[in-house]
Amino acid sequence: MAKYGAFSAPGNNSDFQNDATLASDWNKQMSAVFDTSVTSVSAYLAHHGGGTCQLYNPVANGRPDPDLASSATDIPWNGFPKRYGARGPGQSPNYAAAEAPIVAGTNRDQDEYLEWFVNKKAGKIVSIHFTCEAWDYFDFLASEAPNKVLQLYQTYISPTVQMSDLFPDGPNGDYDKLNKWNTALGAMHLTHPANNLFAEVFLAATATVRRSQHGTEITQSIPLIRCSKYGDDTRNSDPAIGAAVNGLARQGRNVTLANPVGLYIGAFDGAGLMLNGAPAGNFFKVVRGAFPLALRAVYELPAELAAQGLTVSDVKTGASAIQFGGQIAERITMHIAGVASIARDIQNLPVSVCGAVPQVKPQAPSLAASAKLTALRSPQEA
Amino acid sequence: MPAPRKNRKVLSVVDESLLDVHEIQGNILAGFNKDHQLLIALAIQDVAAAKAWLTRLAPHISSLSEVWQFNQLFRAKRRRLNHDPTGLIATWINVAFSHGGIVKLASASDADGVPDQAFRQGLPARAASLGDTAAVAGEPVSGDWIVGADGKVPDILLIIASDDEGQLQRAASQLRPGMGDLAGAPQVIWEELGATRSDLPGHEHFGFKDGISQPAVRGLVSRSPDIYLCDRLLEDPPAGEIAFATPGAPLVWPGEFVFGYPSNNTNDGSPVASPTLPPWVRNGSLLVFRRLQQNVAAFHGFLRSAAGALAATTDFPAMSAERLGALLVGRWPSGAPVSRAIAQDNENLAQDPLSVNDFLFAADTPPPHFRTGHGTAMTFPPATSDPLGLICPRPAHIRKVNPRDQDSDKGDEFDTLTRRILRRGIPFGPPLANPPGGQLPADDGVARGLHFLCYQTSIVEQFEILQQDWANSTENPKPHGHDMIIGQPSGGHREVNLLTATGGVQQIQTDRSFVRMTGGGYFFAPSINAVSQFLAKM
Repeated sequence: MAKYGAFSAPGNNSDFQNDATLASDWNKQMSAVFDTSVTSVSAYLAHHGGGTCQLYNPVANGRPDPDLASSATDIPWNGFPKRYGARGPGQSPNYAAAEAPIVAGTNRDQDEYLEWFVNKKAGKIVSIHFTCEAWDYFDFLASEAPNKVLQLYQTYISPTVQMSDLFPDGPNGDYDKLNKWNTALGAMHLTHPANNLFAEVFLAATATVRRSQHGTEITQSIPLIRCSKYGDDTRNSDPAIGAAVNGLARQGRNVTLANPVGLYIGAFDGAGLMLNGAPAGNFFKVVRGAFPLALRAVYELPAELAAQGLTVSDVKTGASAIQFGGQIAERITMHIAGVASIARDIQNLPVSVCGAVPQVKPQAPSLAASAKLTALRSPQEA
Repeated sequence: MPAPRKNRKVLSVVDESLLDVHEIQGNILAGFNKDHQLLIALAIQDVAAAKAWLTRLAPHISSLSEVWQFNQLFRAKRRRLNHDPTGLIATWINVAFSHGGIVKLASASDADGVPDQAFRQGLPARAASLGDTAAVAGEPVSGDWIVGADGKVPDILLIIASDDEGQLQRAASQLRPGMGDLAGAPQVIWEELGATRSDLPGHEHFGFKDGISQPAVRGLVSRSPDIYLCDRLLEDPPAGEIAFATPGAPLVWPGEFVFGYPSNNTNDGSPVASPTLPPWVRNGSLLVFRRLQQNVAAFHGFLRSAAGALAATTDFPAMSAERLGALLVGRWPSGAPVSRAIAQDNENLAQDPLSVNDFLFAADTPPPHFRTGHGTAMTFPPATSDPLGLICPRPAHIRKVNPRDQDSDKGDEFDTLTRRILRRGIPFGPPLANPPGGQLPADDGVARGLHFLCYQTSIVEQFEILQQDWANSTENPKPHGHDMIIGQPSGGHREVNLLTATGGVQQIQTDRSFVRMTGGGYFFAPSINAVSQFLAKM
């Protein structure tokens, strides 16, 4: 039964603790994201004779009827960017390119909703820091609670982070999401333009549109994404999310996203990581959120081992030493949790055209958005 | 039964490679498919003596051309007779080398020229990542392996297969290093005979028909006339969709299995040119061997108890051990897929080669579009769209290791094609006798299991993904649990969620493994020319 009282903070984090206004405004922002997505798809379907939108806003228009078991609608993908994966027999993943150093003002080329920062000292990897927190969530926090943003940076990146590092024009100015602490010196949240929550919800909504070509319904993930243009077909995540949602839509189900909406670190496979012959898979620690809704994680040696001069570079996978964060990232399974009705009572028809669903903002949002909302951007605009 | 082939001439113009049929070893692309198969592991004592023995062996190595032609003849006679032909016997020989073996016969840089990190490191170094566990905590994972343990990796793996065990033993006697060879010839460090089950041919020891689903490798075995390696019974699909040679057998570029040929683009299945390789690597393939010991009594005991527990729920009141086994494997014992034989086994379906493997998971399975004169309309209900695993559970073994048209955590359905392997396994050990009266069989302490063998061009991206990333995971390629058959996650605990269409979910779990890794290795099966003119060269 996907009917929620309010959209919770990603990963059920405690950022809104003791701040009802912040919680309320986040709820409004997320509701607006859903409303925009539903309105856009509804308009598209109306124009093309495709029926009604099968994605719904679970807060404003929650459904009381029962849903499938939650695990049925969980969608996983690998955290290492597919574009840097092995390109054929005998080829190794291009780990170096996937984590090429960046400077302030630029984003990482890590587009699976997982980004990482490799902390090195004297050429040795000391720790690897992973985040899957969307940048539009931080835009929201920055617009309403700049002190909370500073606090998060000081907790997870460095206690020396200054407000002026994040807000060059002062706390009331714009948040610099590509500041040095989130790029060259750390990874507080996602930086890739495509890695945002709005894009996730909009993708899920537009993937409910059934498509056909030459009289045959499109069901395979790549033909679907190439026709629907709801994402990037060179990623692991977008085709997987789109195909799963479209499959549910073809079955006539109503769908939405589980609360709290987010893209999460769902699992880590540490099998075979060894340090001096002893298992080293348990050095991966979730530091914000918890499996399967983990928001941040770090791979580093326990203090007693680090005190012996050992580093992550001494850890081996197979017979190879860890040289890149990507060797850990490829062991991370990302996921998004969907919700789908047991009832299969939607009789939509495939539309026979291809093309992205244009973004249409609702005339009257279901929840009045009084907060200073961050700009909503489609994946194409992002 | 399939309609008689009018001919095997190419029916449409497709730019596919001519395979080097006289150079590629026969088991790789054609498959020996014999009732008896002997594996002999050898250690090189003296390099010169080893090269001399290889020189003696080389003319006996069976080529793709020989094995493919025999298989064509065998199938033609079987189609005509409606049963396996008697008296049609062949005995085949293939050989493969570990990284260490190539270092000894050539050089370290030559061995490193085989482009696969897993091969270079060897199976013992990769075992922990695969979930293999030590018999005694704290000991090396491979410590109790009967072949291939760390420090005891064979240099050479010899495969001898035959329709007749006597012929096989004669060939083995002739080819084992021994009298007539130079002093210091390779030493046999282990050997074991595998054989199809006499009581249930084609079935593995848990009782399920095995080896049904294989990819169809693209490529020609001949020009003028043009003849494909794999028969093409189906029309080409619309652009952008996966092409199939026969129902359920997707076409895969040969570079996924043999070096030197185009491989599959992970995004659209189009051919990708072979990377530049050392010349001697061309026409070779990587071989994974794992000796998987099966605890048949434990498996059936688990099915019995878990099915009983499920039957006590309102979600699965009619659950039986046989049905639960089918759900965990994805096929009934006959081989009939659960996706098409939903409620019970269907021997007729299992016997129809055009239907037994014709099913998708994500989408409704369309009727096959046969080329004119190359097939008949199916008579069994088609598989329907089952993306959530309500019919065939997503953790079912055949779905775990081959998601078919379903995307995975690693990519889309075209990426899935790049994870395929060519399986050439055979059981070892005697079947466990079933007691009368439906009693559960008791373990008799006799070793039995599967000589799992598979060929590919990337152990890292093919076999290891299937075992480590998919079978051992509850989440991948799609969630709902481990592969209960071969999964071996850290700690040994395995679980599967079984779902109903009405929202019900029941979890079954066990800490007891039914399959235990007891030996094996990573090898390279070079071209026949590379054996005689490179590795055997003084």
